Amino acid sequence: MTTLENSTREKPFHREHRSTVGTFTSDNPRIVCRSVDVYYGEKHAVQNINIDVGRHQVIALIGPSGCGKSTFLRCLNRMNDTIPDCRVTGDISMDGIAINGPDVDVVPLRAQVGMVFQKPNPFPKSIFENVAYGPRIHGLATNPSDLEGIVENSLRRAGLWEEVKDRLAQPGTGLSGGQQQRLCIARTIAVNPEVILMDEPCSALDPIATAKIEQLIDELRTLYTIVIVTHSMQQAARVSQRTAFFHLGHLIEVGETAQVFTNPQHQLTEEYITGRFG
Amino acid sequence: MEKSTLFLLILLASTLAYLRNTWRARTLAETSGQKLHSLPGFYGYYTALWCALPGLLLLLLWLLGEGSLLTTGALARLPQSLLDGAAPEQIQLLVNDIKSVAQGSFEGQIDPAIQVAADRFSELTLWSRILLTVLSMTASLSGLLFAQSRINTDFRARNQVETVVRIFLIGCALTAIFTTIGIVLSVLIESIRFFNMVPITDFLFGLKWSPQIAMRADQAGSSGAFGVIPLLTGTLLISMVALLVAVPIGLLAAIYLSEYASPNFRAIAKPLIEILAGIPTVVYGFFAALVVAPFLRNMGAEIGLEISSESALAAGLVMGIMIIPFVSSLSDDFINAVPQSLRDGAYALGATQSETIRQVVIPAALPGIVGGILLAASRAIGETMIVVMAAGLSANLTLNPLAAVTTVTTQIVTLLVGDQEFDSPKTLAAFALGLILFILTLCLNIMALRIVRKYREQYE
Repeated sequence: MTTLENSTREKPFHREHRSTVGTFTSDNPRIVCRSVDVYYGEKHAVQNINIDVGRHQVIALIGPSGCGKSTFLRCLNRMNDTIPDCRVTGDISMDGIAINGPDVDVVPLRAQVGMVFQKPNPFPKSIFENVAYGPRIHGLATNPSDLEGIVENSLRRAGLWEEVKDRLAQPGTGLSGGQQQRLCIARTIAVNPEVILMDEPCSALDPIATAKIEQLIDELRTLYTIVIVTHSMQQAARVSQRTAFFHLGHLIEVGETAQVFTNPQHQLTEEYITGRFG
Repeated sequence: MEKSTLFLLILLASTLAYLRNTWRARTLAETSGQKLHSLPGFYGYYTALWCALPGLLLLLLWLLGEGSLLTTGALARLPQSLLDGAAPEQIQLLVNDIKSVAQGSFEGQIDPAIQVAADRFSELTLWSRILLTVLSMTASLSGLLFAQSRINTDFRARNQVETVVRIFLIGCALTAIFTTIGIVLSVLIESIRFFNMVPITDFLFGLKWSPQIAMRADQAGSSGAFGVIPLLTGTLLISMVALLVAVPIGLLAAIYLSEYASPNFRAIAKPLIEILAGIPTVVYGFFAALVVAPFLRNMGAEIGLEISSESALAAGLVMGIMIIPFVSSLSDDFINAVPQSLRDGAYALGATQSETIRQVVIPAALPGIVGGILLAASRAIGETMIVVMAAGLSANLTLNPLAAVTTVTTQIVTLLVGDQEFDSPKTLAAFALGLILFILTLCLNIMALRIVRKYREQYE
């Protein structure tokens, strides 16, 4: 106990310090965010975020409820556009192309940046149609057998193929929670995105289903860049290479996951990961 | 005492009983230092109920039984010669005379025999009144005293009061149920009488509707044809035209309002659309007959089409306008009930707004929308006023919307309007038509409610 208190006292950045500490840049960035602010009407929900998302990496966004991590995540595929009164300013670019301007077409952007939600939200259609929906609207398949190939491939990658291959025509809503979430992941990767955003994908699942999804995330990293919001610090430690800690709309600390969890620079980060608030 | 005065008196007494015993229960708890089983108010309600119910029940009993007892008593004073062999109608006339003499409103020469009976009637009325006053007062008072004697801190007043409330609620529910059963039975029984005169197969499968029946035995006239098929096709034709108008307009309006419109516009537009449902159907009726039908006929004449001045098209168009709110309001509710997460899921895959609406939102809301359409259809089938005024009376067996047709409801109206004998097939046919209509709309409603319920389960 004494050692912890000592270490806290020695932290170079105290609770009042609000600018990001740690290395927010990445050597090989896929997404670059500079001075990103988000407002809900008058409320300044996310303030001055600078962060890079590295290629083929998993970056975890952690922080207490209402800290702005989900709001920030939704900037990366412009999902905040669907919320009335929400305004996003600053520069966000993917592979060097700005994605936050008013003249950017969100349809191809969202095809490139897929998203998996907190609660599994399969469409009330068959399992096959759930996965085939994205490829259909983007015209990715030229003929039916092509489409079947995409569906099978996506379900395989999502680790669901063996469980559902005999009942593709049954409704996706009839699957268990964990299967539904993997179906949503399959649906997302069926449009062949480059980045996958995950907003607390395991918070509605039991431990076994969670373990499967975490393993899946680790496998998907070789093909996709993944940004995951999570409430569970263990999950962040298990699946991510980099971790960003948010608090009250500020990005407090970002760095290598091992670094952030074993030797946090900021007093708030340390208090959060040791469970003193959150 | 008059019954209404008595009624008010009993209510006043029970109010006082409530106030007094609420206060008594509170003081009881304070003086004895024990905790009351129920809130003080329940002791008040308990005594108030015991005070009011016996008196009111007695009053009700009196209302139901008094009249016949009094008239029986008064008729007994009439000479037997007046009553022997008299038909029920004649006795009813005598009773009316006796009553008006007793009330002093009889005009003209008073028969001495009637005068005797009327005196007896007044006498009995007076006694009955005194008896009722004494009895109901006693009943209320003894009920009150009984209830007061039972009050102590352990007495479970709340449970007793709740039992009474529950019985009252059951009574209300049963009233609605028995009324329905009564209506169905009366329609059914009269229909069976009709089917004894006209074979049911002739009715269900007959292709000709012409219910002209000789009103007098010696009158020359046809025996009438009671084939319901032309009426059913007319009804379905007009309903179909109405749905063709209402479904696209209502559904598309609902989609605009729930998915595209700004909250401000929606707040104004939705109530405005729902006003359509509040316009009296008779107003729609003369709108159809005086504006739409002539307009259609003139337009038809311009382009060389012969459109009857009372056409299924005119009635159907106006009826379609009338049922737009049923379709749009229900569809709007069900589209709004589709979880936002489904829309988010589609948007996140790169679907545009129109793709999301067409391929995700509408399919998800479809069962509810279909339910709404079926409810609108059953409304259209049962609608009367518009078709009476705009669709005409000629029972043509046709699917041409430009011709005049007639509907089940219209025929019911024409069969029963005016002086009718209650035992001719012409009048009874109305009940059989009513039965058909009832079965038709009942099936539609059951179907609609099932679909709607199935949909509700999906997201709960």
